[in-house]
Amino acid sequence: MIETDKAIELAKQVKFVILDIHGILTDNTLYYTDDGKKSECFSLADRIGCMALMEAGIGVAFLTSKISRADEQVGEIYNVPEDRLWGTGAKMAKLDEFEKETGLQDQDFCYVGDEMIDLGIMERVGFAVAPADGAVEAKGAAAYITKVGGGKGVVRETAQFILKAQGKWETFIQKISQSD
Amino acid sequence: MAFEKDIEKAKEKAGKVKLFAHDIHGVLTPNNIFCDVEGRRRYAFWHMDGFGDLSLWANGIKVAFLDSTSIDGEGLYRARELKLDKYYYQVKDKVGKLKELTQELEISDDETSYIGCEVTDLGIMKKVGFAVATADAAEEVKEIADYITTAPGGRGPIRETCEFILNAMGRWEAWVEKVTKMGYK
Repeated sequence: MIETDKAIELAKQVKFVILDIHGILTDNTLYYTDDGKKSECFSLADRIGCMALMEAGIGVAFLTSKISRADEQVGEIYNVPEDRLWGTGAKMAKLDEFEKETGLQDQDFCYVGDEMIDLGIMERVGFAVAPADGAVEAKGAAAYITKVGGGKGVVRETAQFILKAQGKWETFIQKISQSD
Repeated sequence: MAFEKDIEKAKEKAGKVKLFAHDIHGVLTPNNIFCDVEGRRRYAFWHMDGFGDLSLWANGIKVAFLDSTSIDGEGLYRARELKLDKYYYQVKDKVGKLKELTQELEISDDETSYIGCEVTDLGIMKKVGFAVATADAAEEVKEIADYITTAPGGRGPIRETCEFILNAMGRWEAWVEKVTKMGYK
């Protein structure tokens, strides 16, 4: 349980959450039609996750090598601002730039990633999270591993963990069950 | 976490149901959305959940879609396909909508049922007589439910709940016999 305590301590400091898309919001599957059109399946539980984070004043951004039209739609559905859909292979440089712009520091960030290509940024941020079905390397670098796999509500679970650590989850539930 | 539910008590509550309501995503669907590179979207509905809703309808129990989760018109398309007349889009206040429906149908809260999956459902779940949670619902939802389906969202939780309700009323066997002989459309 010492490890969980440590994850809670790290989650308390989170002010901004950066999400890898493939394998996090999706289960990593790519669907192609016979005429070559690609689609992917995104979790709608993660919509609630993003909503909960933003309601609590925690920013959310997508970070992937290239933002597709599908990713843009999901950004819109999750209410993630357009200028926070970051498509770049240079993930570390993007984080440098955003830190400079906002004054946030490494320990203020949560990064959710599932692959070894995410290791650099996962080792750098305060609270690194990997999904249950992430690569061994990503899970090794994570302070918290979600119970669910990619595309099954990883962000929903991460958001709940962060907000519970920060004592804001009950407030969110009360607000949402009153207005609904 | 496993929550123990009293099945006899659940049956007693289910036996009184005159109105059954649910949302769309996470119940009729696995709570996901397929987006393609051209901007088109798809949703995965469980076919036999429609049969569940129709089974209740055919047995005189009203069915209402309280749709707060649809992104496009998917909930409406499904309701139209099932020819349900109680479809409500972008329901912001489910408890308020339930109240309207119970007044319209002149029934009490005890005679209502709702199946939910998210914390957004907690308000209405506390209000209805027979509250059901899907197998993969949020812990908070499962905790207050009278019954938890073995099926997760998008894999037939409505079909399962409808069978449970009709069984509790002692009407399932007769319904099976009728459908076997005559079909249901």
